[in-house]
Amino acid sequence: MIEVKNVTKKYGNFIAVNNISFNIEKGEIVGLLGPNGAGKSTTMNIITGFIEQTEGEIVVGGYNILKNPKKAKKQIGYMPEGVPLYNELTVKEFINYMADLKQVAKKEKKEKIQKVIEQTHLQNVQNKLIKNLSRGYKQRVSMAGALVGDPEILILDEPTVGLDPKQITEIRNLIKELGKTHTIIISSHILSEISQICNKVIIINSGKIIAQDTPKKLEEKVKKQNQLSVTIEDKETKVEEITKQIQGIQEMKLVKDNEDGTKEYIITADENQDIRKEIFEKYAKSGITIFELKKNEATLEDAFINLIGEKQEEEEKN
Amino acid sequence: MYLYGLFLAMCSVFFYLDVVEYGSLQFENMFYSASTILTFIVPILTMRMFAEERKLGTEQLLYTSPTRTSSIVMGKFLASLFVVLITEIFTLLYLAILYFFGTPHIQTILVTLLGFLMLSMAYISFGMFASSITENQIIAGVITIGFFIITWFLPNFSPILEPLSLINMFDKFPSGLIALEEIVTYITFTIFFVLLTMIVLQRKKSMK
Repeated sequence: MIEVKNVTKKYGNFIAVNNISFNIEKGEIVGLLGPNGAGKSTTMNIITGFIEQTEGEIVVGGYNILKNPKKAKKQIGYMPEGVPLYNELTVKEFINYMADLKQVAKKEKKEKIQKVIEQTHLQNVQNKLIKNLSRGYKQRVSMAGALVGDPEILILDEPTVGLDPKQITEIRNLIKELGKTHTIIISSHILSEISQICNKVIIINSGKIIAQDTPKKLEEKVKKQNQLSVTIEDKETKVEEITKQIQGIQEMKLVKDNEDGTKEYIITADENQDIRKEIFEKYAKSGITIFELKKNEATLEDAFINLIGEKQEEEEKN
Repeated sequence: MYLYGLFLAMCSVFFYLDVVEYGSLQFENMFYSASTILTFIVPILTMRMFAEERKLGTEQLLYTSPTRTSSIVMGKFLASLFVVLITEIFTLLYLAILYFFGTPHIQTILVTLLGFLMLSMAYISFGMFASSITENQIIAGVITIGFFIITWFLPNFSPILEPLSLINMFDKFPSGLIALEEIVTYITFTIFFVLLTMIVLQRKKSMK
């Protein structure tokens, strides 16, 4: 559906997007993930044909965005960052204007406008001026503008920024619902959002793709290490000695010395070995009280931080 | 909207000063003054055209749509011209008043209105261009007014520069003469700046 081939964007000497390539299949919901300034918006602006890349090629639904912009752009609904809207128009006028811009046929226009108003639940405010709407509504109006004209691809740049938790859930549900019938790219620097909605994640940092995979596989990549987090009360300070007696222990690290006298450790053990039972029994025998014992699950958050950290280390070495 | 009001209010003053005061039936006379006002009204009309879109980010909606840049430019240009055309039609009310007192020379008036539209067209094309090169509408407005005033006074420096003065060219129309040379100049000027606007917007895409 979308092919990005070796795309680079330079501003003078600054490289905003550095030789990125990826493919997005029909029906996928893809998350573009990265810290602020990583090149997410630039990438989206290039795919939508708003800015031209310095090098490389973008093909949307079989049409090159530079050589055949009309046909390529017709397949895309874009919700830009910061939801730019015309404040002096009403919601309905704005959607009507977007339908005209997207060259929706006159006959179908009325019906299609009504359809997106319903999809985005804007019925109650459709005759209100956009400037009088709350942030959450504005976001939905922008979404309606992207949706009108039935584009197959939706590109949403940070669709939940600046919303309250209830609105975020609403927008997420809307995106999930739209994902059943559309190919979607969303950008975000919030990991939980991406892992909830997307079935593929592309992690970008300083203009480069550092990983692309399903959220699950990315988590697994980081999960190689078998780690436990344990909080104990250890009056005789013999915990390290005792722990070392257990087979398969690689490392034990003190992470927190709590005020109430308990201590939190992270224990790393060999892979595929569950040492929880042994720890529990041994500690109990030696008079060490366990307050908390849990297995550390890797999250996308860890994957993200690890990957970005690794890349930076590599760069520093070079 | 307030521009309509402003322009028409000024026109009624000119209608009184330039036509009624002289007990004249020459409706066209008020357009000398009206063209002066046009010099200041057009920049206000055009300064927001692209500058504001850029500032608000709504240009992203425009340029990511399947509509061509050239169509967007033409659409904005024609819309502004239409605004001027409507005000022109409103001024015909004054003409109706004159019909109570006699028969004004209708051909001369039509030629004047044509000239006024030509001048507006040229002005709008430049104003639009100025708006396309900046994201600050005030700067766009100042560039436009500055340019109009400079071309206004150019003939004062040297008579050779006479053909470059947009507003002076208009002065031939109220005499009832279809000034072909002037019309060609206006049209050429307009096409030049409309094309330049399209090129600027296209170029900005790869610079952004």
